[in-house]
Amino acid sequence: MSELTLQDVRKSYGEAKVIHGVDLQIKDGEFVVFVGPSGCGKSTLLRMIAGLESITGGDVVIGGEQVNDIAPADRGIAMVFQSYALYPHKDVYGNMAFALRHAGEDKAVIEDRVRKAADILGLQDLLKRRPKELSGGQRQRVAIGRAIVRDPEIFLFDEPLSNLDAALRVQMRVEILRLHQRLETTMVYVTHDQVEAMTLADRIVVLRDGRIEQVGTPLELYHHPENRFVAGFIGSPRMNFLAAERSGDGTTVTTQGSAPIEVPVSPRDTQGPVTLGIRPEHVELVAPGAGDLDARVLVAERLGGETFLHFDLGDEGDFVVKTDGGATHQSGDTVGLSFPPEALHLFDAEGMAFAPRERHALIG
Amino acid sequence: MSDPKTDKPEGVPTRPAGRRKRRRAAGAHIFVFLAPALLIYTVFSIYPLIESLRLSLFDGLEDGTAVWAGLDNYATLLFDPNWATQFWRAFWNNLVLFFIHMVVQNPLGLLLAALLSLAPRFGSAYRTLIFVPTLLSVVIVGFIWELILSPLWGVSETLLGTIGLAWLYQPWLGLESSALATVSLISVWQYVGIPMMLIYAALLSIPDELIDAARVDGLGGWSIFWKVKLPLILPTLGIVAILTYIGNFTVSFDLIYSIQGSLGAPNFSTDVMGTLLFRTFFGQQLQVGDTHMGATIASMMFFIILVGVTIYLALVQRRLQRYEM
Amino acid sequence: MTDTASSNRARASRAKGVSTRVAVHGVLAGYTLIAIFPVVLVILNSFKNRRGIFTDPLGLPGEGTFSLEGYATVLTQGDFATYFSNSLIVTVTALFLILLLGAMAAHALAEYRFRFNTLLGIYLILGIMVPIRLGTVAILELMVDLNLVNTLLALILVYTAQGLPVAVFILTEFMRTLSRDIKDCARVDGLSEYRIFFEVVVPLIRPVLATVAVFSMIPIWNDLWFPLILASGDATKTVTLGVQQFIGQYTVNWSAVLASLSIAILPVLGLYALFSRQLIAGITSGAVKG
Repeated sequence: MSELTLQDVRKSYGEAKVIHGVDLQIKDGEFVVFVGPSGCGKSTLLRMIAGLESITGGDVVIGGEQVNDIAPADRGIAMVFQSYALYPHKDVYGNMAFALRHAGEDKAVIEDRVRKAADILGLQDLLKRRPKELSGGQRQRVAIGRAIVRDPEIFLFDEPLSNLDAALRVQMRVEILRLHQRLETTMVYVTHDQVEAMTLADRIVVLRDGRIEQVGTPLELYHHPENRFVAGFIGSPRMNFLAAERSGDGTTVTTQGSAPIEVPVSPRDTQGPVTLGIRPEHVELVAPGAGDLDARVLVAERLGGETFLHFDLGDEGDFVVKTDGGATHQSGDTVGLSFPPEALHLFDAEGMAFAPRERHALIG
Repeated sequence: MSDPKTDKPEGVPTRPAGRRKRRRAAGAHIFVFLAPALLIYTVFSIYPLIESLRLSLFDGLEDGTAVWAGLDNYATLLFDPNWATQFWRAFWNNLVLFFIHMVVQNPLGLLLAALLSLAPRFGSAYRTLIFVPTLLSVVIVGFIWELILSPLWGVSETLLGTIGLAWLYQPWLGLESSALATVSLISVWQYVGIPMMLIYAALLSIPDELIDAARVDGLGGWSIFWKVKLPLILPTLGIVAILTYIGNFTVSFDLIYSIQGSLGAPNFSTDVMGTLLFRTFFGQQLQVGDTHMGATIASMMFFIILVGVTIYLALVQRRLQRYEM
Repeated sequence: MTDTASSNRARASRAKGVSTRVAVHGVLAGYTLIAIFPVVLVILNSFKNRRGIFTDPLGLPGEGTFSLEGYATVLTQGDFATYFSNSLIVTVTALFLILLLGAMAAHALAEYRFRFNTLLGIYLILGIMVPIRLGTVAILELMVDLNLVNTLLALILVYTAQGLPVAVFILTEFMRTLSRDIKDCARVDGLSEYRIFFEVVVPLIRPVLATVAVFSMIPIWNDLWFPLILASGDATKTVTLGVQQFIGQYTVNWSAVLASLSIAILPVLGLYALFSRQLIAGITSGAVKG
């Protein structure tokens, strides 16, 4: 009943094309996160699903019904906005009851639904307060409560946590997850924060410049990114990239003057330079000469529980290695870097990943 | 013996002896910045107002000296038949003027602002053009409309004729029964741009996401206007009301004087406080100028405005809080 | 839901869209017409001869009706050059004083903490609610005492006093939002407070100054009351007063009257066309703060 399907959805503002043919199927009860850099079109896509933006081409189908020209209120959706968008002139109860009152719903029904939503979100004591008397986190909960009261098929979230401070964001993330577990409704969530995406999503949709780069579960995207963009977007700190040369058509590469490194991927017939990728947390530190490469530590960032070592390797920017808090390496030290083969990624000249020979155990 | 506390570490230069540090700025500049504005404002705006109040408490004698009259002048103005008729009629006319503005100008301004806030195509062209009458001098406005409504030129008759209402035409400006209403509507025509702009600005300041939320909640355009936009712009509507009030009791002189002269022709039917003041102070064919009564009228106008503003601040302002958005 | 039901709903919401748009444009266009029709009428007819004005007021000036006789009369009979320059002198000078003194006062109120700051602020802004005209009786006496009757200076002083409250209000609000850092940086560099005002603050408030200027200019240029009362002498008449009296004099000569009206309108319209964006921005920003 609450499956959402996007078929070749396109959007243009006059001459400017912003969304280029998006195809996506979201199952009933799924928590899907749209993630991507600013301007990638994630909010636009969400607003098209909501009905706040017109659809230039393609179809949006909710619960089997094409909704392209149907008003937002009739699509069975509810939306939580980045700025909460609470009605300043109404109290919390009024904000949550607003839509139902306007629809002429029976007072007892309204009371029942508002109280239920308030209970779920812990808003029972705040019902008579005005938005300006509430903290950011409380306002966000009221915004969510307003959405719950509408009893929608699909919840839409437009960067709801961006305006909160870091500590509150972590707390609200957990609350949203528990809300999903409790309500079991389809949720589409937009964020630019890949940590939120990883922690909340059943599946993530990575967008760039109006196109889907990859769709998959968080672990799928983490372990098997299909291109450089996704590889560099998911995971923090970012995956390290090293320019490399292939020997022949095989899957052996050398980089930064290293010995040949065997990458466990299926061979492909492509031309041009390749890029090696490995995440900071997968690089192993060994004695100089004992690994694939030697490098000098530029900076050591000690966070107590973990340490980030920055190396000056290659032209792809900072090379970072994450190691535990007890590491004693200092700026200026030379260390050996060892790359476990199963953690290596290989990308061709267009940024497309070589397919791994074996998929990661956690994914199957 | 060197004193370890004052010896500096090697390599740090010491300040040459004898150089005085400049003191932090004294307060003189504050005075210099404020004085000229305060001076001109006080001398030419506040002092004359107080002086007018003072003059109203005196009476003028033949030889030019003034004698204390207490509140006599006010009593005369309000109760003496020679004066009271004029005063109360002018006051009543002002109220009618205010009423017509509140009922025609402000709702019209609200309507236009609401339509403009929907951002239709040519929106800024409409806005710019509708504001043109406000820029025009009152002399021009008055005369243009005198021409258009004039029986001699016949433009209005012709225009009404095109929609079949030619029989409706009357020389409205010249008729006692309709002159005040006509002048009021001309004033509305001239000034509607201002409430339109102020309300438009207030509507713009409502965040788009709030409107989106209302759309998702199921409200259509009309409902969004009544249930979301209007409550949020009430403070601005309050300001528009009080500005209308003040303007009607003071600036209305200009238009009426231009069209109907200082006697509020025909037969005082368009006489307002402003024309009464002018006429009293400077005199005209029928009476000699009377400084003190003039001052009294001005003071009465001041009190009337003060009462209005106080009511506004006490009742309206307190209830209509500005919502943080 | 079936296909027909959903497409009916879709058609309904689309149809609502079109008819709303028609209504919106209808009302806006309709009132715009009402707003500018009289002005256009006057300007068009000012280019006609008397016969044209009478017989065909609604038509464009054409073959038999185009004429500049109105303008000829106005430019030779009325002393409009003088009136114009008077209006110009008064408006520009008053504007200059309003902006300069207003900015200085606003700067003092916004920047410095001192004992009477709040009080003086309220005092100055009180003027917005208290129309200066109410003190006219005393203003005239004051001008008589100062020997300033029938001088442009009288008008300049009065208009400055009239325009200061609003200017101070808008400028203070805006100056409060300026960051302290750039001024503190100048202080550390050794600049005096006066130099800081003129060289650091003023450039930062230029857009608002432009807005206040356009905003204040209109009531001064168009004012009838004070020129009538304080400076009605021939040498000091402003354009507004001049036109008003010219009309009184030449009521029957319609071409001349219309021409004089057009001459009075055109500068204002010209300025408006140039500065409408600033003007509207000024009013709208004042409204939000007000």
